[in-house]
Amino acid sequence: MRVHINPIVKKDLQVTARSMRFGWGVFAYEMVLVLAFLLAMAFIQSQSNSIYSDNNIYSYFIVLFPVLAIAQVCIVALTVPIITASSISGERERQTFDIMLTTCMSPFSIVVGKVISAVIRILFFVVAGMPIMALSFIAGGLGWSNLFYFVLTIVLLSVLSGSIGILCSALCRKSITAVILSFAFYFVIYFITFVPMILKFVWTKGKSAGESMLFLLANPFVFFEEFFMQIMRGESLFGTAGSNFSRQEVGFLTYHLSQGKTWLFLSAACLFVLSLVFMIAAAWKINPMHGAVGKKVRK
Amino acid sequence: MLYINNLTKNYGSFTAVNHLTLHIPEGDLFGFVGPNGAGKTTTIRIVCGLLRASGGLVVIGDSEAPIGSREMKRMIGYVPDFFGVYDNLKVREYMDMYGSMYGMYSRDIAKISDDLLELVNLSDKKEVYVDTLSRGMKQRLCVARALLHNPKLLILDEPSSGLDPRARVEMKELLKNLHSMGKTIVISSHILSELSEMCTSIGIMNRGQLITAGRIEDIMQQLSGGKRIHVQVISDMETAVRFLKEQANVRVESVRENEIIISGGGTDEEVSALIGRLIQNEVVLTGFYREEGSLESLFMQLTEM
Repeated sequence: MRVHINPIVKKDLQVTARSMRFGWGVFAYEMVLVLAFLLAMAFIQSQSNSIYSDNNIYSYFIVLFPVLAIAQVCIVALTVPIITASSISGERERQTFDIMLTTCMSPFSIVVGKVISAVIRILFFVVAGMPIMALSFIAGGLGWSNLFYFVLTIVLLSVLSGSIGILCSALCRKSITAVILSFAFYFVIYFITFVPMILKFVWTKGKSAGESMLFLLANPFVFFEEFFMQIMRGESLFGTAGSNFSRQEVGFLTYHLSQGKTWLFLSAACLFVLSLVFMIAAAWKINPMHGAVGKKVRK
Repeated sequence: MLYINNLTKNYGSFTAVNHLTLHIPEGDLFGFVGPNGAGKTTTIRIVCGLLRASGGLVVIGDSEAPIGSREMKRMIGYVPDFFGVYDNLKVREYMDMYGSMYGMYSRDIAKISDDLLELVNLSDKKEVYVDTLSRGMKQRLCVARALLHNPKLLILDEPSSGLDPRARVEMKELLKNLHSMGKTIVISSHILSELSEMCTSIGIMNRGQLITAGRIEDIMQQLSGGKRIHVQVISDMETAVRFLKEQANVRVESVRENEIIISGGGTDEEVSALIGRLIQNEVVLTGFYREEGSLESLFMQLTEM
């Protein structure tokens, strides 16, 4: 059976692996994780009054996982937009983009290829950081499935960040402009999803957010908060059985979605759909024929 | 092979390509000629699906596929005037990447790639990084890349641009070789001497319009009545110009320091009589000659019109 790998993924990975920058990138990633680990250990150490202490400091080891996980999430959130924001604009600057467009690869395949290659590169970093992450298992209380779900969330974040980066790359001529725009985009998504809720609270004088909280389904920050709450406490951000809110404070839908893991899965789906929308928009932008109706030839 | 009908491209109020109609038969080596800004590259980019036309039709072969469709792209091999390469990618991998972009599998690409690299004299550079190749080698590699999927039509935009004389000769030989293998080739170029040696037919564009197109000999024949005559004058330049302008079948093309270039004049006998009358008007001539038909002279003549 012949397998057809996206040629852009194959090429990007070949070129990346041969570059010294990749090696230095992995090194820097590991250093950040080690730093995060040492800071967490310093915090744990500070909970102990003396070397021979009756305090059970081992219970503080549980902070290792969220500290290391958040460090990785931050690195991914910062790195992936930079990688993908220079993907299309970089091809334009290198003058390789025109030839690519004349091939049989559809603009969407090109965009997907770029995002996938960015995700795979990030996964290299994540896998390289696994030994440090594994230290958080010393404390116990974490299952292998938690680590698996964590990797899935990293993949989702990479796809979202990558799709934002690639859209900005398609919009901008220069890579540097695309990088700046992608970070601006990122922050807009983070904050704009809070705006309906804030406005609703202001409108109702703090009494009810109504269904405006549903916009938070598309907020990556809220998604990760929900994820960590589920991992660390086994409960939703909205409290056990959505107890942080009363039915009067939030809308009917929001109340029921905040039960159990429903919010988490729905939010993941929303973020994935958002990523798809950005990728489709990027493909539309780079397609030189966009807007043209393919007319059949009549001779 | 390539049929362009009423092709138009507007950028706001500026018309880059103005109702261009052109037919290039199969097996032709067509030279696309024109001054800078004539619309050649715009036309080529539209045909290759890199630019959306404002109007008109492009048909390749018997296909009914629209411009920019996958089927259309499969029929075209494009070599742009400026192109970049990737760092840290070998020649073999470069060919594999582009072959995959046309839906080919690596095993098939390897076989075809070996043959093509031999054709362009790069078979010993398979394991070399692409960014270390010379400009001429990169250009030949780009031609090999454009042939991977066996396109019906090969389009090259300024293939000799930036090449040293040796590389230009090699490129010319390669294109002649491809033409002899039955490929239909369209070349856009400013190097008229090369085009006149290689091309079977040409199209001359100016200001977005196709002025003339067809076999070089036919165009020369068509315009032979307008072959220019150079009249070398050493005194009374004004008298000579005034006299020539008064002649009904003569058009003064240009006036240089000691030379007047005219077109028309009729047959050789009529031209001889005209020169005789010029001398009788006390204009002192050092000589006169009828210009040899060349692509340069044809180009200069047509683009001045």
